[in-house]
Amino acid sequence: MGLPLYSAHSDPGPSFFHYAEGAGLTTSPGPTDFALPHATTIIAVRYVGGVVMVGDRQATGNYIASRDVRKIEAADRYTAIAISGTAARGIEFIRMAQLSFEHYEKMTDATLSLEGKANYLSPIIQRNNLTSPLMVLPLLAGWDPSHQVGRIFEYDGAGGCYERLDFSTIGSGSPFAENTLRLGFRSDLDLEAALQLGALALYEAGDNDPSTGGPDFVRNLYPMMVTINADGFQELANDDIANRFRAINERRTQTGGLAGGTLR
Amino acid sequence: MSNYFYVAPEQLIKDRAEFAQKGIARGRSIVAAIYEVGVVMVAENPSASLNKISEIYDRIAFAGVGKYNEFDRLREAGIRWADGTGFTYSREDVDARALANYYAQHVGDMFTEGPKPLEVEILVAQLGSKFRPTKLYRIAYEGTISDETRFAVLGGDAETIKGRFAASEERLEPLATTLKNAVAALAGPDRTIPVADLEVCLLEDRGSRRTFKRLTDDELSELLR
Repeated sequence: MGLPLYSAHSDPGPSFFHYAEGAGLTTSPGPTDFALPHATTIIAVRYVGGVVMVGDRQATGNYIASRDVRKIEAADRYTAIAISGTAARGIEFIRMAQLSFEHYEKMTDATLSLEGKANYLSPIIQRNNLTSPLMVLPLLAGWDPSHQVGRIFEYDGAGGCYERLDFSTIGSGSPFAENTLRLGFRSDLDLEAALQLGALALYEAGDNDPSTGGPDFVRNLYPMMVTINADGFQELANDDIANRFRAINERRTQTGGLAGGTLR
Repeated sequence: MSNYFYVAPEQLIKDRAEFAQKGIARGRSIVAAIYEVGVVMVAENPSASLNKISEIYDRIAFAGVGKYNEFDRLREAGIRWADGTGFTYSREDVDARALANYYAQHVGDMFTEGPKPLEVEILVAQLGSKFRPTKLYRIAYEGTISDETRFAVLGGDAETIKGRFAASEERLEPLATTLKNAVAALAGPDRTIPVADLEVCLLEDRGSRRTFKRLTDDELSELLR
């Protein structure tokens, strides 16, 4: 790779995506007819101090391809990106987003606003999804330092970006997670309540959707749980997550697999 | 019909070198030095927003003197090159020596073949790791690349400043000591540079992937006390 110098009229500016596209560093979209690992449940819930995210860890093709995929990653200190859809594209998408935000920061000596990051991703999603069956649908959540709130942005297949003020779910298990969230969400959720609700919604999705991996007590593998707030992006420890899912599992055991009349 | 006059290559190079030197001498200098646990870069820069020192990658920094638009374009190309290389291969494959070589080739090409030589002198600094040593590569206006062992000086007054800084201890010292020596070398015996006119950046391990840090005026005053 040579030194990427441009004259002023052809300069791609601080956008890594535009530079990488022009320089041929990205993969090209194209048709396919073989099964690729996909399917997911990702949940983002707003609480008074930020956003809680929960995501399953199973990659599914014709079989279970992997049980410990990370579908939620820190894009930078205050931003998380989660993916659903084709694993290969999703992982490239996360790398592109992470690098793009850092690239912008280095090129301009300024940090992109959270809204700026959300809008930046739109054309990247659109380009992928409208030119290839290898769909990727991400979810962006972060702490907005300039407005001091947690914010969630979801996307449609054509790259449309929509801010959600309550919660959002993506992936094949999202109808089940969404229903749980609709019943349990309040606008004054504190951190603990948001974590409990998020875990419960994922448990529901794992219970009903064959392509969502619920808690795996045999392998000691649990869904990812993260918080994004004024302290930045943080992952919950595996033991903490294990205890939360064990507690739900015990309650469900007592009531024959269903919630038994209360959201728990 | 136009007339072509013969110009000896020696004369051509001499004229171009004089032109570049004159341009570079108009600006202020930069000192970069290795200290106990990192690299410190000190520029005299009255502007708080038009930076001379910048982050390139996790462990690589850039500094430039001379014409701002010329070295800033090189800085941007460096960030693109580093991010593109890391994206294509792996973060650990991004090496300052490779970048310094690309810079040297481009600056050298512009010196001999360009419409005019670039009026810049640049530095590529690398903080050492398990895989690579701490390095200071200086690239001069004609494309000469030099691997400086303890410290590097860029700019028109480089020889004088170099002499002043070379008088400091040979061994690696703490940040505050190295920083004071660098500022004193830049200022010379007859003046002091106000903190607001200094741009100081570090490459130092702080437990995260990125090691570049731009010091605030408060942090700088504290270190210079």
